[in-house]
Amino acid sequence: MNFKIADLTKNIKFQSFIGFAIILFFFKLIFGSNESIFYRILNELFVIMTASFFIMYMFDVIRAKKINPLSLIMNIGILNAVIFFLITFSDSIMKWVFGNIQQRLIKPDLVISIVSYLYGFLFISTVSYIFFTFKELFFLKQKKNVSTYFNTMIIFFLAASFASVLNPYPELNYIKTTFIIISVMLIIVNSIRISWIAFLSKKEKVSLLILSVVILILFCVNIANSSDTHLHGQVLQSFSTSLDQFMNLMMIYGIIYFGILFFTTLFHIPTAEAYDRKTQEISSLQYFSKLITQVLDFKELTETVTEIAIKVCNSHAAWIIWIDNGETRPLAKKNIGIVDANLISGYILEKMKSGPDAKTTLLSLDKFEGKVKLSEKFNSLAVSPIKTHNEVKGYLAAAKRNDFIFDDDDKDAIDTFSDYASIAIENSRLLEESIEKERLEKELDVAREIQRKILPSKNPQLERIKISTVFIPAFEVGGDYYDFFELSEEKFGFVIADVSGKGISAAFIMAELKGIFESLSKTIERPKEILVKANEILHRTLDRKSFVSAAYGVIDLKEETLTISRAGHCPVILIRDKEVQNIRPSGIGLGLNFTDHFINTLEEVKIDLKENDLIVLYTDGITEAKNIKLDDFGNLEFEKILLENSDKHVDEISNKVIKDVSLFSQNISQHDDITLVIFRWKQNLNLDGENKWQNSAPQFQTKVK
Amino acid sequence: MAEFSTSVSDKGEISTIYLKGFLDAHTAPMLENTISGLIDSRKYSIVVNFQELAYISSAGLGVFMAFIEKVRENAGDIKLSAMSDKVYNIFDLLGFPLLYEIYKTEEEAINKFKETKNLES
Repeated sequence: MNFKIADLTKNIKFQSFIGFAIILFFFKLIFGSNESIFYRILNELFVIMTASFFIMYMFDVIRAKKINPLSLIMNIGILNAVIFFLITFSDSIMKWVFGNIQQRLIKPDLVISIVSYLYGFLFISTVSYIFFTFKELFFLKQKKNVSTYFNTMIIFFLAASFASVLNPYPELNYIKTTFIIISVMLIIVNSIRISWIAFLSKKEKVSLLILSVVILILFCVNIANSSDTHLHGQVLQSFSTSLDQFMNLMMIYGIIYFGILFFTTLFHIPTAEAYDRKTQEISSLQYFSKLITQVLDFKELTETVTEIAIKVCNSHAAWIIWIDNGETRPLAKKNIGIVDANLISGYILEKMKSGPDAKTTLLSLDKFEGKVKLSEKFNSLAVSPIKTHNEVKGYLAAAKRNDFIFDDDDKDAIDTFSDYASIAIENSRLLEESIEKERLEKELDVAREIQRKILPSKNPQLERIKISTVFIPAFEVGGDYYDFFELSEEKFGFVIADVSGKGISAAFIMAELKGIFESLSKTIERPKEILVKANEILHRTLDRKSFVSAAYGVIDLKEETLTISRAGHCPVILIRDKEVQNIRPSGIGLGLNFTDHFINTLEEVKIDLKENDLIVLYTDGITEAKNIKLDDFGNLEFEKILLENSDKHVDEISNKVIKDVSLFSQNISQHDDITLVIFRWKQNLNLDGENKWQNSAPQFQTKVK
Repeated sequence: MAEFSTSVSDKGEISTIYLKGFLDAHTAPMLENTISGLIDSRKYSIVVNFQELAYISSAGLGVFMAFIEKVRENAGDIKLSAMSDKVYNIFDLLGFPLLYEIYKTEEEAINKFKETKNLES
């Protein structure tokens, strides 16, 4: 929107400029020879308007561009040269072409009018442009608002120029002279505002010094040439006295400005180098802060480090020798090939002290035997260790070619810089580690979520089997799995399994197990067969390192038996009449063997159940729970607790076990999942008067899918 | 967790790996490297000495499964020896005695290798 408005006014200015230029042209053509004061004033007004709109239009066009003081100075120089040539040529060529031009100017014909118009117009543009450039220079690097000074000066410029219409009346000349004197004073005041010099580098200052001398001379020559005695002065005066006057003022401005500029620059040159160094130090500070923002990407960070190293110690090449697990490799090479970097790195590692004593060292390659093999003639080195917690992680190396050497300032610079770089690199590494840790934690969250969804959300409610389950996941997800299957009204199946490994991979295998047992239990009754099939299926998906320990059992409610098969899992504990029995049929873990050997060694046992039998399934998370001395909780302790509490309610028993295990493992993180499943067998409901009627009813109170 | 380390000593054609400390999911890759190092140098007669091993997790057991096929294909074997009762119990539960030869001492395992070699030659 703003842009459009700016564009619009820009167009209006341009149109006004063209409009006034055309008006001026016809005015000249018609009234060119009229000497009356009214026409003269009108003429001057048209010229001033044309010039003003031209300048205003130019502001809009050029303002958007970034301004460099030296290029502005160059512009003034070029325009001055143009004016110089115009004046010189006009003197000789016009005389040759038009003959006695002075005479013809008084009573101009069409040709002279057009030539004079074009000539005048040329000067309107060049002088306006010079004025514009002065204005830009004036406002350059100004800290406070100084437009009042400049605007006042413009007003007096205009006044002085316009007062030139009074030229024919010598008694009124004092008006013009007063304006000119005030203008010159204002020029002097305004020309002192050249603080932008300070911001130039030494090289720029030297070229500015030369330029200002040349331009100063050009201004002097031009002002001398534009006096009334020269043809140029006469042509311009006849075109417009104010333009002539304005041009003279610009020339005076130029002389004063460039005079002051020359001397100021001259005095600035001795301190230029110190200033350069200061600015460099400031920019190094900027680099340091840049390092801090780049710790997110180690590679990018090292690239920046070497890039800055080149700048801070003025070297030709730089790279990082990174020590990683005893191996060294060059990183982030700048201006040096891999072969050279490797050769020189070897030499550096030989020469540098390692450990906390390592410090920034200047090395010469003069005695380096491999120097002839280098593709570039590097001669001197500055090497600074990259240290974290007094441990040398690598070196920052900078190299100069041929006869260039590092001085103490360079050494200090790279020393300071490598300290910063070390901190940034260490931060980057720590950040990477913590991001990795967070990623793992997120992954484990997912694994735990999978596990939570796979395990039964609640226990089946059965008349004759009281069930209590406890599952406590380890932080890393251990891969424990258990499930219940209500196969028919007479048969109740269960499985407990432990997947090797941890984390998300274990969780995925668990998910697969659930699918396998869920479907196999529907079609196959015998536990051994189910485990054999499960092993077959797992053959396709398990990698060689993974395996699953599992136990599958079926309780026949009618036969009152427990049939069980065990593939590498912890034994099933049976507590009957205050005695512990480990039911441990032979069997290899799932996924360890896929031959007939697995089938042949897999046993299946059948036990008749008795009233109040306690059947306990568990994973090694209980028996291998560790205390602070890394002792195991152990099978014996586990069995002891079960036995001591065997008369209690199943939930009480499981609570007691878990309580004791957590007491045992106090102050140590749980490293594996803990799963505990306890069944209590209630044999004969007939004995219980209250439940007699239920005998004929279905065995299951509720069906849990 | 306590540290884990392995060392290897060659007795003739038979290499013995000594395990020390805690072998779990985090330390298993070290043992993997050791065994694959032996296989790379075509040493297929491997005895593992568990004397100083304090603990083994399922991931630790998996390491042996990863290599046994390759070793046996090359007429070699991995024989396990000198396990503490606790460690043996873990192997036993999973049915490892049905898959691996497990000996009370390292010498027994080495002698067994020698016997088979003599029989072959």
